[in-house]
Amino acid sequence: MPPIIEASAVSKSFRQHKRFPGVLGALKSLFTQQFTEVMAVDGISFEIGRGEAVGYLGPNGAGKSTMIKMLTGILLPTSGSVCVLGRIPHAERSRNARQIGVVFGQRSQLWWDLPLVDSFELHRRIYKIPADRYRDNLARFSEVLALGPFLERPVRQLSLGQRMRAEVVMALLHDPQILFLDEPTIGLDVVAKDAVRRFLREVNRERGVTVILTTHDLQDIEQICPRLIVVNEAKLLFDGPLSLLRSALGSKRRLKLEFAADPGPVELPYAKLVSDAGALKHYLIEREDVSLVAVLSDLRDRADLKDLSLEEPSIEELIRSVYAGGDAQGRMSAAPPRGV
Amino acid sequence: MAGAIGFMIRLQIKTRVQYRVAFLLNRLAQIIAYASAFSAIWVLIHKFETLAGWRWPELALLLSFQLLGYGVGAALSFTQMRDLEDSVRSGRFDTLLVKPFSPWAYLVFSGLNLGYIGHIVLAVGMLVWSLSAVAIDWTVFRVSYALAALASSAALVCSMLTMIGACAFVLTRSRYLYSIFFGLWELTRYPLNLFPAPLQWLLLTALPMGFMNYVPVAYLLGKPIVVVGELGGVLAPLAGPLLVGLAVLQWRYCIRRYQGAGG
Amino acid sequence: MYGAVAQSAFQTQLAYRSQLWAHIFGQFIQVFFKIAIWQSVFGSLAQVDGVSLPQMITYAVLAGTVLSAWEWARLIQGIDVAISTGDIAVFLLKPLHYPLYLLASECGNLCFRVVAIVVPIVLTVALSYGLLPPASLLHGAAFLVFWALSFLIQFLLSLLFGLLAFWLMTAFSLEWLLQGLLALLSGSFVPLWFFPDSVTALVRHLPFAWIGFYPVAVYLGKLTPPQVFAYLALGVVWAAILGSGVLVLWRRATLRITVQGG
Repeated sequence: MPPIIEASAVSKSFRQHKRFPGVLGALKSLFTQQFTEVMAVDGISFEIGRGEAVGYLGPNGAGKSTMIKMLTGILLPTSGSVCVLGRIPHAERSRNARQIGVVFGQRSQLWWDLPLVDSFELHRRIYKIPADRYRDNLARFSEVLALGPFLERPVRQLSLGQRMRAEVVMALLHDPQILFLDEPTIGLDVVAKDAVRRFLREVNRERGVTVILTTHDLQDIEQICPRLIVVNEAKLLFDGPLSLLRSALGSKRRLKLEFAADPGPVELPYAKLVSDAGALKHYLIEREDVSLVAVLSDLRDRADLKDLSLEEPSIEELIRSVYAGGDAQGRMSAAPPRGV
Repeated sequence: MAGAIGFMIRLQIKTRVQYRVAFLLNRLAQIIAYASAFSAIWVLIHKFETLAGWRWPELALLLSFQLLGYGVGAALSFTQMRDLEDSVRSGRFDTLLVKPFSPWAYLVFSGLNLGYIGHIVLAVGMLVWSLSAVAIDWTVFRVSYALAALASSAALVCSMLTMIGACAFVLTRSRYLYSIFFGLWELTRYPLNLFPAPLQWLLLTALPMGFMNYVPVAYLLGKPIVVVGELGGVLAPLAGPLLVGLAVLQWRYCIRRYQGAGG
Repeated sequence: MYGAVAQSAFQTQLAYRSQLWAHIFGQFIQVFFKIAIWQSVFGSLAQVDGVSLPQMITYAVLAGTVLSAWEWARLIQGIDVAISTGDIAVFLLKPLHYPLYLLASECGNLCFRVVAIVVPIVLTVALSYGLLPPASLLHGAAFLVFWALSFLIQFLLSLLFGLLAFWLMTAFSLEWLLQGLLALLSGSFVPLWFFPDSVTALVRHLPFAWIGFYPVAVYLGKLTPPQVFAYLALGVVWAAILGSGVLVLWRRATLRITVQGG
């Protein structure tokens, strides 16, 4: 089966105006202009099959948004090629647009001063959605994401979480084959994030919509995407399942224990003590098979334990270790398996 | 496509109705502002009787053509294009590129500025008055010509403002270009034979705002037309469509450059 | 402290270079087309109502460029933005009074525009069409005082309208209204000498007349020394009226913000 999205050695560079410092510099730029080239995407290749859910992960400025823009036809690669649904997205913009849905995390497509349903109605006309299909989709999605009470409310009165749920619904009303999301959970509270993630997972698994999601929140990946692509500084670092990434790097989870008072030294067989500040102790757990439940049961007899937290390594830590781990890197960049 | 556009216009009306008091106050204020500016010209004529050989009713006709052409043309372009710069920078414009719809049409109609109704009301009022006060023998030809010239005038304004707007795709800052437009636009309140030749040439070639009002009105009034002379009559209704063609080409070019398609 | 505020405003303007070129261009167009109009209507007449063409050319530059150099609209817009973002509450907490802060800031803006825009235009017109010097040393000195008064009145008017926007919830209509009033009644284009007799008495005593008309009338020696002082006093009275209006509105606004929390 041919991949639904194919990126081959895609690169994108931008020209930026050089800024000259000082007053003399300001005068100079009145008359001349000089540029520097900035590489946003550097020789990235991947294939995505129909029905996959892929997370595109990287720190800020890694080139995630630029890649999404190339996949959706907004930008053209400087070199290399992008193929979506068998077409070059930029070349057949309108036809491509009909079969994809796009949600931009920080740029709303909803009409601010009018009831939410008006934005949906406009969407229906722009995408020429048959009336019954529109009604069915709207009813079903609104139910799942609990939009019912807000449909008649002006968008400006909705919270960010409600607006984002609405954006996701709107992007799916026309039954697109692929759904692109650019940082959709940014700025959302935990409840909203959870609702959006569950919905996207369902849309992918039950409706077979291919989902491509850029984020720098690892939780998004864990909940929705079996496969992730990691980029940093314009380059592809990893392409494969999250579990492979973790095991390739060795997951280093941080365990934080807070006691009512300094209990003296506290040893845990599977955790390495990192810092001991009396009542507050930090550990590193390197074994994957140690769960929070196990830790809790080990400490259940300690009545002086006030608080406990187990943190996953952040994406920044993972990226840093990706750079640091030579061997692991060698293992990762070789023919990564796809998670379908 | 027409269905979506019609719906967008309905949505704009719906939005304005929500703030109807502010909307009406704003329209009133704009009408007063334009009327005051025009009154200054009236005061001048009251003292000096003619300006470059034009009497007040003729000047009023000139002014009403200018304001009406601008009102209609700008409703379809000015605020939308002026805000395009911010839209491009924030990435908001990109959301238009992923819809199966003309980005220009979406931009223009989703932002259709009904606020120009004030301009149009004042302009039509002045137009009606001046048409009765001016010495023109109204034939079917002359009426259709006037209508064609007005449509061309609106198209001219829309094209010019759109072309400035398209610069937002290739320049980091382009808003200042509007100041240049409006500076010259104000000149078209007056008959061009008033100005030195270089300025006349500028307003009838590179920045052909003279075709908005001066050329068609001078033609209708049988006055001599500077620079283009006899050709003026024919050129006036054609200037609009010509510029529309130019604007379409430039818009497409600028968007392609924005997308990195190398124009 | 206010000096620093003015200087900062000056430097901020320097950052908006391309805008500046456009404004200079716009102002050049403005002054030259006005001169073209006066040349046209005067034709071969030596003078109209005691005013000569060279005087009108000087009038066009002084009233149209010099006295209109300050962008009052930006002040209204700035207040509008400060009100809607809530920044205005921040200024309440500062030791300096907001109106004085604004005045200092706008002085900086004005100085910049005088240097960057007015000077080039005045020089260009002086070298091409010729500008008349002040009618006398007294008139020249008085012009400077009237100029300062003109700026003050412009400032107070736009501050007043800006504060009114706080209650009327619309800065847009007030800005346009003021623009209309100034276009006609400030004398920045058509001097008040040429107005119809029926309205001239009223128009010459509205505060707008001190913005464009009186300073230039003084410069050109159209007012005798006693008249100069009389109109100066009257102008100051108008400034005081506007100033108290501003203070009243300002206090009311402060009260409303602290009570309602913006």
